[in-house]
Amino acid sequence: MATEMEAALPRLTGREDFKSFRAGAEERWQGMWDGTRTVVSVGLDSSSIPKGADRVLAACRAALSSSDAIVREVSGNGALWMEPWVEMMRPGEPPVVYANITPEEVPVLLAGGLRERAVGVRAESAFGGIPPLSAHPFFRHQQRIVLQNMGIIDPWSVEDAVARGAYSAYLKVLFDLSQEETIAEVAAANVRGRGGAGFPAGIKWESGRKARVLPKFVVCNSHEGEPNVYKDRKIHESDPHRILEGILIACIAVGAERGYNYIGGEYPLAIKRFRKAVADAERLGLIGRNVLGSGKDVFFRVRTGGGAYICGEGSAMMYSIMGVRGQPRTKPPRSVEEGIWKRPTVANNTETLANIPDIITKGGAWYASIGTEKSKGTKLMTVQGPMATTGLVEVPMGITLGTLINECWGGMRPGHTFKGIQTGGVSAGPLKEEHFDLPVDFDSLTDVGGMLGSGGFAVFDTDVCAVDFARYLTAFNRYESCSKCVPCRLGNPALVEILDRIRLGRGSLADLALMERTSKHIIDLSLCGLGQVAPMPLLGMMQMYPEEFRAHIVDGVCPAGSCPIGVPQTVAAAAD
Amino acid sequence: MPATTGDEIDLDVVRAMLAHIQPGDHQEAQELILAALQEVNEHFGYVSLAAAEVVAEHLGTTASRVYGLLTFYADFRTRPRGKHFMLLCHGMSCYALGSQRLVQELKDTWGVADGETTADGELTVQVVNGCLGVCDRAPFVKLDADYHGDLTTESFNEVLRRTIEAGGSWKDADHGH
Repeated sequence: MATEMEAALPRLTGREDFKSFRAGAEERWQGMWDGTRTVVSVGLDSSSIPKGADRVLAACRAALSSSDAIVREVSGNGALWMEPWVEMMRPGEPPVVYANITPEEVPVLLAGGLRERAVGVRAESAFGGIPPLSAHPFFRHQQRIVLQNMGIIDPWSVEDAVARGAYSAYLKVLFDLSQEETIAEVAAANVRGRGGAGFPAGIKWESGRKARVLPKFVVCNSHEGEPNVYKDRKIHESDPHRILEGILIACIAVGAERGYNYIGGEYPLAIKRFRKAVADAERLGLIGRNVLGSGKDVFFRVRTGGGAYICGEGSAMMYSIMGVRGQPRTKPPRSVEEGIWKRPTVANNTETLANIPDIITKGGAWYASIGTEKSKGTKLMTVQGPMATTGLVEVPMGITLGTLINECWGGMRPGHTFKGIQTGGVSAGPLKEEHFDLPVDFDSLTDVGGMLGSGGFAVFDTDVCAVDFARYLTAFNRYESCSKCVPCRLGNPALVEILDRIRLGRGSLADLALMERTSKHIIDLSLCGLGQVAPMPLLGMMQMYPEEFRAHIVDGVCPAGSCPIGVPQTVAAAAD
Repeated sequence: MPATTGDEIDLDVVRAMLAHIQPGDHQEAQELILAALQEVNEHFGYVSLAAAEVVAEHLGTTASRVYGLLTFYADFRTRPRGKHFMLLCHGMSCYALGSQRLVQELKDTWGVADGETTADGELTVQVVNGCLGVCDRAPFVKLDADYHGDLTTESFNEVLRRTIEAGGSWKDADHGH
């Protein structure tokens, strides 16, 4: 269906042109939901397609080909646990979402069966005994700004996005607001960088605006390479125009002639959907010379990474865009002074930029009313591990860790006992049940050795050994070290070597002090952010589970039973 | 090093693939090196030195610059894939639910480690040091065009046996999961 519309996309040359295009898109959107026809939507993205969602969609299309029903592809909705899901709206009824549907079950579902599989109604109130989806514990605590279109619009369709408000904020920035006024809204929102560092976007934009060297660039950092984060991938897959609009607004606000989006190469579907969004925006005339007759030029490039975690670091990302190895450099100069091709470059995380359209539309004060005193707005959070309802949620900053774990993510799956939760990806330590009352925001977890980071959490159960997990996390950083500077390149392998000694039951108590000393060297002497935090997960594990490290060394046992103590070293060589 | 399926990269095909990449200036040409390599890598499963030279020539740079990128970025391979190709997710969900055991099983039973190909050229394994994003079905692998989740050591071996017995190859896969 996306291809039919491509030919039909008009070239818009003025503000009124856009308004009439939007009116058409809104009319089409409302017509679809007017209750006269059956509308079947299936969520397709990188997590649901492997479970057969594409075959479920094909089965729906086949079964309804001779009817007047509308069968649509949408993205997943973040609830990995209910995939593949089908949303069905029959004439005169609200849309109902059914979980875990197989292609074989589609005929039964369409005939009105499988009522027990209904998770919720996508409406305000219950219907036929089925509660609203928003009452489900997974959704109850969520406040979706960045994800407001997730699982609702067809991510291939610019008309769907525009019908739901896309590019309204961009128009406001093009025609109604000055650069200073736009940045003032972002500053008032006090939106802090969602990539992990938490630096205020408004300050960064103001430095970018003031930079005097031309041309300037804006880069969206969509390279989340951590082994436990999938939020930016999901924004691309569900609502690519929201990201694009955020980048274009940033370009206008700082006076950049070109925007970039740097996406991890391991996300093919995210790349495809985003490229389609850019192509459609170019066709419509939202990108290019003299956008909508505003007199402003904005150009755009999509660049893809090659599977190197380090390219999430700002300067490494820019080197990667310039076609060299992604290895960080010393700062200053900051990238806002010297970035891509030595020109002033404003770099923001995907989630940060995806918040911008609503901040412009509804105002910075509205955004700042959500969240905590120092951490405004909502935050996307993902979980991994044996949870009952695994997935991506968008919750207000300040939600407690316990609410996240026990309600949003449904607590542990049967047969698994909670042991801890790794926070901050591979850049911080774990937390325990005693920390469940802590509010999750940029600052609160840091005091106890955790970190919000980019919002990636991993719950582990009692079958996971703290020493082995520390090795896994340290080995990740060893593998991903760019090898530019010595402390990181040699320090991390040394830590892995010592950890292997302990895992094999050959460690000594002196090894604990040696690891702490080595860690200190890596932290103090490494050049970039990856090296400076690489030993943090290990130190966190040592602090949180000292008895387990001692048990391996002193008693010669692995309490979780997973380390190869007593196994000959040749056989037990750890998996890299 | 391990046996290969023996296919050589047809450089004329590479040239044809690159024809659509037409940079406007030298800066843009450099920005497009990685993208060009990704296309070649995706199509052939690896980028040979000769193919890297073609990319360098097309974009006005040196083979050493291109090869330096190939060996830095983990997504690229410089040797052919075996008949079957496995992406083994080693994200935290997969780790917490036992992907390490699968890596060990590959070593013990199949004689193959990360980045390697089995001696008979049947299977190449790439451990994903990131996340494939199917965290509720951990541990999880993508084998050729198919996905397999909730794996135990037994079901993992079974899936591998069945795939190899069935013939076919990674080339049957849709490019891009």
